[in-house]
Amino acid sequence: MTTGILSLQGNFLDHTRSLELIKKDYILIKQKNDLKSIDSLILPGGESTSMIKIQSNNELFKKLKILINDGIPTIGTCAGLILLAKDVVDGETSLGLLDCVVERNAYGRQNESFEGLVNFLDNTQMYCFIRAPKILKTGKKVKNIAFIDEEVVGVQQNNIAAFTFHPELTNDKNYLSWLKYFIEEGKNVRSF
Amino acid sequence: MDFCLYKLVVIIKYMKVESTFKIKKGLAEMLKGGVIMDVINAEQAVTAEKSGAAAVMALERVPADIRAQGGVARMSSVETIQEIMTSVSIPVMAKSRIGHFVEAQMLEALGIDFIDESEVLTPADEKNHIDKHDIKTPFVNGATNIGEACRRIGEGAAMIRTKGEAGTGNVIEAVKHMRSMTEGINKIVSSDKNQLMALAKEISAPYEVLKEIKKLGKLPVVNFAAGGIATPADAALMMQLGCDGVFVGSGIFKSGDPAERAEAIVIATTNYDNPEKIVEVSKNLGEPMVGINIDDLDEAEKLAKRGW
Repeated sequence: MTTGILSLQGNFLDHTRSLELIKKDYILIKQKNDLKSIDSLILPGGESTSMIKIQSNNELFKKLKILINDGIPTIGTCAGLILLAKDVVDGETSLGLLDCVVERNAYGRQNESFEGLVNFLDNTQMYCFIRAPKILKTGKKVKNIAFIDEEVVGVQQNNIAAFTFHPELTNDKNYLSWLKYFIEEGKNVRSF
Repeated sequence: MDFCLYKLVVIIKYMKVESTFKIKKGLAEMLKGGVIMDVINAEQAVTAEKSGAAAVMALERVPADIRAQGGVARMSSVETIQEIMTSVSIPVMAKSRIGHFVEAQMLEALGIDFIDESEVLTPADEKNHIDKHDIKTPFVNGATNIGEACRRIGEGAAMIRTKGEAGTGNVIEAVKHMRSMTEGINKIVSSDKNQLMALAKEISAPYEVLKEIKKLGKLPVVNFAAGGIATPADAALMMQLGCDGVFVGSGIFKSGDPAERAEAIVIATTNYDNPEKIVEVSKNLGEPMVGINIDDLDEAEKLAKRGW
């Protein structure tokens, strides 16, 4: 099994660390040819505008869309969530597969970035929110899986899971065991 | 007792902490693999964002012009910074003078995303840099070697960049500084732990930072290249030398076709280990900025000498 990590720009190398900790193989995805052997996918944090621009010349996103629609387990963090979202307030929809409305930099600028206590699958952990987006609305098929108090900060729609924060900067036990489960079993997770 | 417990639950439920070092460093992590471009107005900022910049640096004059025009170079005007902040959605950085903590406090109050305590501006203190722990906004600092990098990290810098020689379009100094940094890191990592204090003394650097470098096998913060990068090949060279990303100052908006060149440098930075791709984006780029030989500069003109 090999996980592909979108590596156009952003903190993709931090995700390699998470995968090393759970002893999973990975490759860095820069061109569409890199997608041949992967069976799960991670879209990292970074600047979504930058990633969209870099891929626009080589049809990488078209291929990614097909793979995700085919059901490979896909995880997006921060900018990765923005790439996946169907509707981006004041921004560009790119993959448009996750039925939700997101707003970029919704908490404000860097001075408003924070570490917040997140409830994720009945565990609580401090995670980093860096110029983070907010999930404003979700579709019927989308399940809320992570919260700060009442606010939704993580969602799942079948094989797609996405977070507004950065679990890969913390790599706590709970996240790593979920990550292992999701990239192994996420394809078959059709409903709850 | 019940009341106390209730209070505790409420506190824990709402726990949010701003501007921890992890959060400051975190933004730098998100910029990795990206290009940060110097811009002097909203129009250039929009061009940079459209070309795929990961962030922009708001400036009054690019380093090449500071070099040519001389005079005291200060923090940009509030209007310039605000105009650039409202024109783009990517992070905006701005420069303060070395040691000028009030300029840094102003940038913090303006809500800028990153402060560059930069040798490109005229230093305000001939001995001291800013204590960066006290300011909410993260800092990036230039360094020419590992000792300098460790001192800045000790002061609270959340990101390091090579100084290079800004405004020359000549990459030689950035290469020198990056190689020197790598050499320094290797020396720390290969040292016995009993040698670290003596090494810290030798390079005038905080012992704790050396210990962390030894543990991690690399700098504890993100390390970018800056100072003299003018072509897609320059950017890829710095990435292959082990940088996490690049700053391009005068190289873009002092060239013949800024938008094309900006995009080409962005793509070359992502695909730094793919020569075919670098060839492809290097075609029809127009004139690069005119370069300056480092040997033609007087010692006093070398910006990398600033900072201590």
